Amino acid sequence: MESSKRGLCIVFALFAVGCLFFGAGVPTAKGVPAFSRKYQTSCQTCHAIFPKLNPFGQAFRLNGYRMPGETEEMVKQVPVSLGSEAYEKLWPKMVYPSTLPGNVPLAVNAKFADLYASAADDSGHQVLHNDFQFPQELNLFAAGTLGKHMSFFSELTYGELPDGGTEVEIEHARLDFVNAFGPEHLFNFRLGKLAPNAWDGFQEMWIMTDSGIGSFFDYNPIGFNGGTGLCDSDSCGVALPANARAIEMYGIVAHRLLYVVGVDSPIGPGGSFDSFGSTTQKDAYARIDYKFGGLALDGTSTGVTLPPENWKETSFRLGVLGYWGNGGGVNYEVTDPAGETFNEQDRTFHRYGIYGSVYVGSLNVFGGYLRGKDNLEIFNPESNVLFAAKSPSYSAWFVQSDYVFAPPFQASVRYEQLTPGDSTARLSKIFTANFSFLAYANIKLMLEYNGDLVNNKNYTFTTVLRAAF
Amino acid sequence: MRRSVLVLLALTVALPMAAGDLHGKVVCKGVRDCADAVVYVGAIAGKSFPAPKDHAKMDQKNLVFSPHILPVLVGTTVDFLNSDAVLHNVFTPEACAEKFNLGTWPQGQTKSYTFAKECAAVLLCKVHPEMEAYVVAVPTPYFTSVKADGSFHIGDVPDGSYTVKIWHPKLKAAEKPATVAGATEVDFEIAK
Repeated sequence: MESSKRGLCIVFALFAVGCLFFGAGVPTAKGVPAFSRKYQTSCQTCHAIFPKLNPFGQAFRLNGYRMPGETEEMVKQVPVSLGSEAYEKLWPKMVYPSTLPGNVPLAVNAKFADLYASAADDSGHQVLHNDFQFPQELNLFAAGTLGKHMSFFSELTYGELPDGGTEVEIEHARLDFVNAFGPEHLFNFRLGKLAPNAWDGFQEMWIMTDSGIGSFFDYNPIGFNGGTGLCDSDSCGVALPANARAIEMYGIVAHRLLYVVGVDSPIGPGGSFDSFGSTTQKDAYARIDYKFGGLALDGTSTGVTLPPENWKETSFRLGVLGYWGNGGGVNYEVTDPAGETFNEQDRTFHRYGIYGSVYVGSLNVFGGYLRGKDNLEIFNPESNVLFAAKSPSYSAWFVQSDYVFAPPFQASVRYEQLTPGDSTARLSKIFTANFSFLAYANIKLMLEYNGDLVNNKNYTFTTVLRAAF
Repeated sequence: MRRSVLVLLALTVALPMAAGDLHGKVVCKGVRDCADAVVYVGAIAGKSFPAPKDHAKMDQKNLVFSPHILPVLVGTTVDFLNSDAVLHNVFTPEACAEKFNLGTWPQGQTKSYTFAKECAAVLLCKVHPEMEAYVVAVPTPYFTSVKADGSFHIGDVPDGSYTVKIWHPKLKAAEKPATVAGATEVDFEIAK
């Protein structure tokens, strides 16, 4: 009976994929089956429905992709030795030993999306698109551990664009050095192109919805009078870099306090994905937060009684974060209301925010508030003479609720609001609703609606089929 | 008749020296199995044991030391054979084995070292850093390697009171007092 009910659900979901002509952007939510192979364990060890991490998965990630309290019998793929452990005592006379994963640590995510997008054009008319993006993207992961302290994570994405073009991008490529010295979990380092841990919990990699939180990561602070809204071209400034080329230190103090500090390459035209930094400046970010109740951030229970369902807990997490940047020397082209063109530089800017997350059993409500200020300078493009200086502030906030009805079924709703730096620009209010169905442990179906609550002609429906293998 | 008397006499003399055995089960926490553990009887006050004349053997074949763990009596000479077509080396960083380095030698040749002190010496090959083995030189001839399932058996242990010890390359060593009288069981649980 259960089998036929489940089969009916799968048939319904596949029917929905085939029949609903909905659409959305190109999000980057992932699950990494390379770890399933290494530990011979299910995706559900770390995810309720991938990519969102459950509390154990969170601890696993922060521990450099090692099980909390890991012992060698937990690792089913015996690693390849690159030197006896006895060589540790012989360093620096001999090379410090390491290991390689027992098998090639590769994994693939394939994503097929049906996009139904409605948008208002400049004249206010509704323009509809309907695309079968089969596939929308393929993600090739390599992830694992190297010896006792090193980890690696990389992701190469191949995307097919609606205009028929393609793009290949290294979304992540980083090395971690965990438990570098001192007490366990206290000093960890990461280097590479990475999702900063300062955005832990709300960066697109770790949330349930297909779309990311645009008001935090896609706001364009550049404009003649300040930013006017979300980025709509390839040459936007960046509010917060979802991914950054960074060196980061993070650690867990007393099981439950997370700190993060990082230095990253400055944002430039096209954002952090496309800029290698055209100046000698470096940006910086930091976060500190504390988790009350539930599984501790280092994976220990600290005496808390935890439910057997590993997606549930009763906990509260609260943190503050900041980003400080210097965009001096990076020119963005802007036009004044009369249509005259200028160069604009975001000389210095900062963002301060708070993040909170509450778990009550199967319900997780989390949200954040971000306030930013940009010290913009506008130059004559020919004489390079300063024309004007402005310091607009903007703010953004969101709240999202995820509920696990049962392990295969989860629903999410999110509201986000952006008040741009240009006081003449309209507010941005976005509503997102998502239903996710885990047809198999590694096959996911999603239905998602994204709506602009200010202009009801702007919305998208997305139907997504994602496979991780 | 005369032969029967002699047999009876021999048995009478032998009875007070009757040897028992030590056996038991080891639980090794945090590693895949117990195959690398060694159980042995610690030094016995007032007793010493002559080094065996026969050499123990450690082979290097297919880029692996074999056996991985070699328990021997202190004073034993171990012959290191290279059975591979590539050069091998054997050295140890352990002071209890004089940090010996036997050099590098080709296929078919053997070099030797005598383990004169109680020692758990890791053996390494500079040519192939992943190669690793241990010679565990113990003070009595009452020793054995533990099986993967944790079981062990040491035969011919004279009745008496001893300290039974266990060693593992990755887990903390442990010891227990034991009075051997016939078949005697000693169990261990060791962890990191």
